[in-house]
Amino acid sequence: MTFVHSIVRALRLAALLLAISFAAMTTLTGGPGLGAPALAQTGVETPMEEPSPGSGKVPGRSIGNASDAEIWRAVRHGLQGNVSLPDKQAGLLVQSEGEEWRSIRNGPVTKFGGWLLLGMVGVAALYFALRGRIPIKDGRSGIRVPRFTQTQRVVHWFTASLYVLLGLSGLIMLYGKHVLIPLFGPEVFGAIASAAMQGHNLFGPLFAFAIVALFFVFLEHNRFRWADVKWWLSLGGFVGGHPKCGFYNGGEKVWYWMAVALGLTIAVSGLLLDFPFILAAPQKLQIAHLVHNIAGVAIIAGGVGHIYLGTVGMDGALEAMTRGDVDANWAKEHHDLWYQETIAAQQTARQTVAQGAAAEVTT
Amino acid sequence: MTFLELTEGPLWYAASAIFVVGVLWRLAGIVRLGGPRDLSVPRASATAGAIKGIFLHMVPHGGFFSRTKFHFFAGYLFHLGLFVLVLFAAPHVLFIEERLLGFGWPALPRWGFILVAEATFAGLILLWLRRLTDPVMRQLSDGDDLAGTVLTFVALLTGCLALQESHDSLRALHMLSVEVLMVYFPFSRLMHAFTFAFSRAYTGASYGRRGVVP
Repeated sequence: MTFVHSIVRALRLAALLLAISFAAMTTLTGGPGLGAPALAQTGVETPMEEPSPGSGKVPGRSIGNASDAEIWRAVRHGLQGNVSLPDKQAGLLVQSEGEEWRSIRNGPVTKFGGWLLLGMVGVAALYFALRGRIPIKDGRSGIRVPRFTQTQRVVHWFTASLYVLLGLSGLIMLYGKHVLIPLFGPEVFGAIASAAMQGHNLFGPLFAFAIVALFFVFLEHNRFRWADVKWWLSLGGFVGGHPKCGFYNGGEKVWYWMAVALGLTIAVSGLLLDFPFILAAPQKLQIAHLVHNIAGVAIIAGGVGHIYLGTVGMDGALEAMTRGDVDANWAKEHHDLWYQETIAAQQTARQTVAQGAAAEVTT
Repeated sequence: MTFLELTEGPLWYAASAIFVVGVLWRLAGIVRLGGPRDLSVPRASATAGAIKGIFLHMVPHGGFFSRTKFHFFAGYLFHLGLFVLVLFAAPHVLFIEERLLGFGWPALPRWGFILVAEATFAGLILLWLRRLTDPVMRQLSDGDDLAGTVLTFVALLTGCLALQESHDSLRALHMLSVEVLMVYFPFSRLMHAFTFAFSRAYTGASYGRRGVVP
């Protein structure tokens, strides 16, 4: 009995050791043993029936049970289901075109827009470095010529102040993650971006009113004339001396029409984004957003040139919009046709007054 | 203590105290000035004239409207808008209920807030532009007008930028800008928010006493 018991105990011990070592190897390797290939790597092909799309079966020769991969793939590509909610858009779980919108917005729009903006600033800086502030050739005469009415100046500065607020907040939203996150970190940028978005949405509708007012208030004198073609052919005076020009030169007129067209585009697309229920479909909103971004970058880039020439670039220009009048020599040099018309009109008015006074004296 | 706790705690109480004491001190000073003694027999009630003066001068009369229509519209746009925003913006109603009075009232819906805020901003910018572009107004304006306008604009702007209510820092920034405005208020022309009634009543009373519609 003792011998038999000894053999049984030895076998039990061996079985226990074997069990422990098997368990340890299984835990460590996840398989029956070290070096043993996984079942899927054995090359054993399991014959399977080819599933039909949407059947819930995994396609191809793979191991596994029923799966919803095909359904999720379809959802990922914009499959719309049915919902009992009033908003049928809620049946769309993944709006796939959003990826395209995101890649265009974060790709070419951001990249080329950034180059355009930097390019405009660079050109203005280079021009200023080479030419400096353009002086009034004959100096100041001290005689003032009225140029803009108070209404025109109020509308101009109202639009300009909104342009600055909206431009800054728009640039923060478009380029903030590239510029501000490295400077301030993501948390501060989060607050700045939130503020920028609220400000942008708030001031946007006011800009729509402003741009319409700008269009009407400055329409007079901005119709193209033959003198504008000549102005452009001489590249604004770079070739063949200062060209003759009326109230506005060809460049100013192009800027006016560009600002109006881009401003209206921005206003309309912005209002559609402010009130998304109008377009409803996310794809249309994404197009509106891209149009808004492109037009926004373009008007900011154009504005760089306008602001440069209206402020530091040219002596005597800014006061036209701050005081409402300009120096006679500035008017003669830059807008000679308009200056002659103004002087002629003033002389006619004086003659009329003098004749009226003379008639009163004789009677 | 966080920045928000600082602006909603000690700074808020200090600014409120300066605002209340400062305004009362200025108003008491005006009242103490009194007026010249009038020994004549009054033809009509001075009190009625004062009340008429306050309300009749809310709109321009006669030929003044055509000359003042710009700042009449811009002025009402801004002042009414600011009044509505201060008292009926939802976060303000909540603040008043929790921190000041213990009770609140119905607040503006979000779309209403946005509409009123836009009108207020438009009014303030237009009024400031008029001040800058009108040669007479420009001569009359000084640093006090600039400071009052800028502080009001910043307080409005920071409030609107914090509209999403997702960042404490934006709320704190709004609180701080409002507190700076409150401290500046009693010592500036912003006091016209209270003194307009006194000046109109004074003029109205002196005319009313003579039996003339002010």
